[in-house]
Amino acid sequence: MSFEKRTCEISGLEIEKNSESMIKLNMATAIIFFAIGGAAGLLVLLTRWPAIHLLPVEWYYRWLTAHGLLALLVWIIFFEVALVHFGSVTLLKSRLAVPILSKITYGLMLGGTLLVVVMVLGGQADVLFTSYVPLQAHPLYYLGIILFAVGSLIAFIHFFINAVVAKKEGEYKRTLPMVSFGIMAASIIGIMSIAHGAAIYIPTFLWSLGIIETIDPSAYRLVWWGLGHTSQQINVCMMVACWYGIAAFLFKAKPASEKLCRSAFVLYILFINVASEHHLLVDPVFSTWHKIVNTSYVMHLAVLASMIHAFAVPASIEMGLRKQGYNNGLFEWLKKAPWGNPAFSATFISIVLFGFLGGTTGVIFGTEQFSIIRHNTWAITGHFHGTVVAGTTIAFMGMAYFLIPVFFKRDLIMPGVAKLQPFVYGTGITILSITMMAAGTFGVPRRHWDYNFSDAPFGYQFDSTVDIFMGLVGIGGLIAVVGGAMFVFVTLGSIFKGNKRA
Amino acid sequence: MSDEHNGFHAPGTFVLAIIFLVTFILLWLGHAKWLTDIWEMY
Repeated sequence: MSFEKRTCEISGLEIEKNSESMIKLNMATAIIFFAIGGAAGLLVLLTRWPAIHLLPVEWYYRWLTAHGLLALLVWIIFFEVALVHFGSVTLLKSRLAVPILSKITYGLMLGGTLLVVVMVLGGQADVLFTSYVPLQAHPLYYLGIILFAVGSLIAFIHFFINAVVAKKEGEYKRTLPMVSFGIMAASIIGIMSIAHGAAIYIPTFLWSLGIIETIDPSAYRLVWWGLGHTSQQINVCMMVACWYGIAAFLFKAKPASEKLCRSAFVLYILFINVASEHHLLVDPVFSTWHKIVNTSYVMHLAVLASMIHAFAVPASIEMGLRKQGYNNGLFEWLKKAPWGNPAFSATFISIVLFGFLGGTTGVIFGTEQFSIIRHNTWAITGHFHGTVVAGTTIAFMGMAYFLIPVFFKRDLIMPGVAKLQPFVYGTGITILSITMMAAGTFGVPRRHWDYNFSDAPFGYQFDSTVDIFMGLVGIGGLIAVVGGAMFVFVTLGSIFKGNKRA
Repeated sequence: MSDEHNGFHAPGTFVLAIIFLVTFILLWLGHAKWLTDIWEMY
């Protein structure tokens, strides 16, 4: 079928017009919310840093809620919607099947986000990211979340509509290309995740309106983590798809065994949902048998998938570079890799940090014996900054550096800053993540405005070593904020002011 | 089997993978030891 498209001179990709405008819109929106979420993170950081302790208590929890929502959900999912379009239209050389659906998606997600932000910063939703009942927010907060979720659900469903249309029109033969396959796995998990979100947020919305009398807190926690953790696996799948994508675009690299890598995506789909039980290891309601099956067995099948990808992607990059002639010794390919290209450096940093910071600690903390000690300490925050920030966010940064010239037809501004940015951000997040985990090991609580509990009837004095870690978290966080600002400056600057290509 | 599947195409990554796995095991054991030490402090 004929449709309006152009051929990108940088990548050789055929870009269809309708999907192009939606990819641009979602990507730019994602970066704007990354900037706001990052600024919220800075306020939280400067409050948890004992030497500064910036915000009063109410505002601390509001900005913390906003930081969680904007950085963990909004930035990431807007970017993922751009990737859904990229994987189901551009990579399949196809067309956007139902353009109006993309516009509805965007409208619902943006409207939902604005509603949530207004409610949170207006002091109507001091319930933190998990919004555990019986804490209750204003009904419009829950409505905002539901609108955002419905918007992203439509985007994930749209992936399949696009893929079916492409197949019918003969754009691909047997199966989806590797990157699209990863995005398809993410879309399946996305639908699963949002089904859990609907199952818990709709009753909670009705409860906030007074239509339902009570929500069982343990049922809430169980179903909410079907959303809360499963949605993180959308991020992991999308991140891995970006790794494969950058390896393929820059080096024409293919995994040694595509079948194995595709099977690893299937492991995510099958096992990650039940593995979300590790959030509930200290919950008294669920049986020990239930917890052990989920966290000592099932979780490791999902972890196995990440290990397969984490080795398959560097191996494919190595094979690609060896084919280009970098064959001396074990590591010439790594030394001669294009470290000055931020799309590559961000991808490689994401792989290494996700493995060492997020992956190892996730397995350790998800073990029942350790979880009981680490639960609700700052170590958990350190862990997920190693996964979602050091892993997903840095991988998306790399992808943004690749996609901006392709879709916006503009060169990156200040290439020197772009070149340094993944290293600065990666260094900051590494220091932040490790020192958060170190402080958490001493029992420093996550989320808490005043970790010394100075106004409590029974105060508590931590070991003085903790003060060093608290200060180092602040320093690491500031370096990360500088790296984040560099990313926003370069990407938004390039989108609006970069030199135009023909 | 084709030549593509016979050779050892990514020896550097193989070494990196071994480094990763050894680090992981050391982290896990070290973590257990550190936690035990800290708990004994209290």
